[in-house]
Amino acid sequence: MDTYSYKQSQALFERAVNVIPCGVPGHMSPAVNIPPSAYPIYAARAEGACFWDVDGNEFIDYMCGYGPMILGYRNPVVDGAARRQADEADLTMCASPKMVELAEALVDTVDAMDWAFFAKNGGDVTNYAAMVARSATGRKKIVAIKGGYHGVAPWMQALGHHGILEEDHAHTLRIPWNDTAAFEKVIAEHPGNVAGFIATPYHVPTFYDNVLPDPGYWQKIEAICRKEGIVLIVDDIRHGFRLNMKGSHVHYGFTPDLVCYCKALANGYPISALMGTEAMKNEAAKVFYTGSYWYQAVPMAAALACLEELKRLDAPAWMLKQGADLFGKMESMAANYGFHLKVTGEPSMPNVRLTDDPSGMLHQAWCAECTKRGAFFASHHNWFISTAHDDEVVARTLAICDEAFQVIKDAAEKGRLAS
Amino acid sequence: MEYQRVKANLNLYAVLRNLETLVVCDGTSAELIKGWEVTLQFSVFRGPTLFLEFHNGRCRAGEGAHPSPDVRLFFLSAGHLNRMMDGKGSPIPLKGFTHLSFLTKEFPQLTDRLEYFLKPDDTLLADAAYQEVNTCLNLGVAAYAVRELATSDPMGSLNAASMPDGTLAIRVLPDGPSVSIVKEKGSYAVGAPRPENPMAIMSFRDMGVACDLMNGKCDAFAALAKGDVSMKGSIPMIEATNLLMDRIPHYLG
Repeated sequence: MDTYSYKQSQALFERAVNVIPCGVPGHMSPAVNIPPSAYPIYAARAEGACFWDVDGNEFIDYMCGYGPMILGYRNPVVDGAARRQADEADLTMCASPKMVELAEALVDTVDAMDWAFFAKNGGDVTNYAAMVARSATGRKKIVAIKGGYHGVAPWMQALGHHGILEEDHAHTLRIPWNDTAAFEKVIAEHPGNVAGFIATPYHVPTFYDNVLPDPGYWQKIEAICRKEGIVLIVDDIRHGFRLNMKGSHVHYGFTPDLVCYCKALANGYPISALMGTEAMKNEAAKVFYTGSYWYQAVPMAAALACLEELKRLDAPAWMLKQGADLFGKMESMAANYGFHLKVTGEPSMPNVRLTDDPSGMLHQAWCAECTKRGAFFASHHNWFISTAHDDEVVARTLAICDEAFQVIKDAAEKGRLAS
Repeated sequence: MEYQRVKANLNLYAVLRNLETLVVCDGTSAELIKGWEVTLQFSVFRGPTLFLEFHNGRCRAGEGAHPSPDVRLFFLSAGHLNRMMDGKGSPIPLKGFTHLSFLTKEFPQLTDRLEYFLKPDDTLLADAAYQEVNTCLNLGVAAYAVRELATSDPMGSLNAASMPDGTLAIRVLPDGPSVSIVKEKGSYAVGAPRPENPMAIMSFRDMGVACDLMNGKCDAFAALAKGDVSMKGSIPMIEATNLLMDRIPHYLG
């Protein structure tokens, strides 16, 4: 296989650093890809499971745009609904009827949730959820998981990062994942002052393996929340509609008070949602929270179409099965080369890691070699698959993996990985 | 008080100990110390102690008390030491009165030289020879400062807690200076310049890139993306170290 070069991407980046901090800031920054020279920086177009960069290189996208793409890029059903809405109206002086339709569709879809509120990004609704929990309880503290990610508001970011004050963290308490005793301890240390508990359905820390909930974990957390009057918030932004259409809480058998959605809700159109139980509805109404573009009708139309299509395809079940097949074959292939590929989390959005080298250099080299051959693999973050990752895409992916395993095996034998 | 204590640790263990490196990489400094046969000890009451042993044209720095220093300089508090480092105070000599002339005339020439290289301006940085010494010293300050900040700075210790065990190698390519930082069971140390099997490697493309980055002349993320700086291995280790390095100006800026 030929490997890619990225002259156009790199030339654009040279221009970008003159006028944009970091060139590409945030989670799309090329700095997080190891090495950046193996990865594209700018995408020109996309279709199905793939995107093409500005140099014309084609990539099977195993990040799915960091999660939003779930039905394939340029999905005709979703894009058609969005175009039709754009022909009518997008952002006007009044809310769109599509907002009502979408809220009704979500309430019909997601188990135990009775209302929906719309914003743009995941962080908008995790922050709103914390505010609703505080309003509902009259308490201050939010308990979150160490290494859990819920957005970039100051209280969510790690203390010590630039722009974050100690005061921002005064009311955020972090406990380990899968540790209900730690939850009870922190409640005892702050009697009557814990407003909410927020966590993802399973733990997806950046740079580390994913961890599923221990049997009974969520049920115990729910029981503690009920006993202590704490609002149980599920951050289903990353996992949402990749485990169960009725909500990841149904997948793991518990009932939260608030659920946050974003990424896959509209297959790439900008919209997020906070959903809640009837008991939370009046409290949500009391919290003033809004944004200039939160009433756009086009993303709402796209979300309606996306939900319908996901249901029609039974998408979560399909992706779980397709992921299990793909990653099972990938593990076997790695073993044939003498490597151990560890797949953690659920197969529709797993973390994949070569464990043979504790530093991670071997894994970074393999991801880079795959990417240079057309399978975009991030070495630091969980991956995503979509309903567009069909058998043909899987076969192409495995061929790329095969060659990349051979390349890193040769490099490891020659001691070139740590140079 | 906390601020002064951390700053005193940095001043002694990261800045002043760098005289050891200065005399190796700067010819003028090497020339200055020729013939110096003296051991100086700097002690802060209930605080850090550092000795500098000048012998046979070399300088050796060590933490803690020297068994037989020629000169003992005492500071009543961390703030007292910090005032001296800022040129606004003097130590209390407890031993070595016969070396008073050395302390007031010869030794300051060396510390002035250190200050000259650690407080650059754009004109100085344009000079390749200056750049090289500045970079060597900055790397040394950074490595020891990371250790100190990870241990004694409240914010730094929070950042450091997320750092996994192992060795981070920091290299200036192709054959420039290098340092390493080791975390093992919650303790931090400056390791061998060229460690085997590091958990993470951060490399600067050349001396110019290293110099620009350490003097805040370029955007680190952009430098990473362009390949001017590269990292591999345990990224949490590099990320935590970078956050610790970003704390240095809070005390020494």
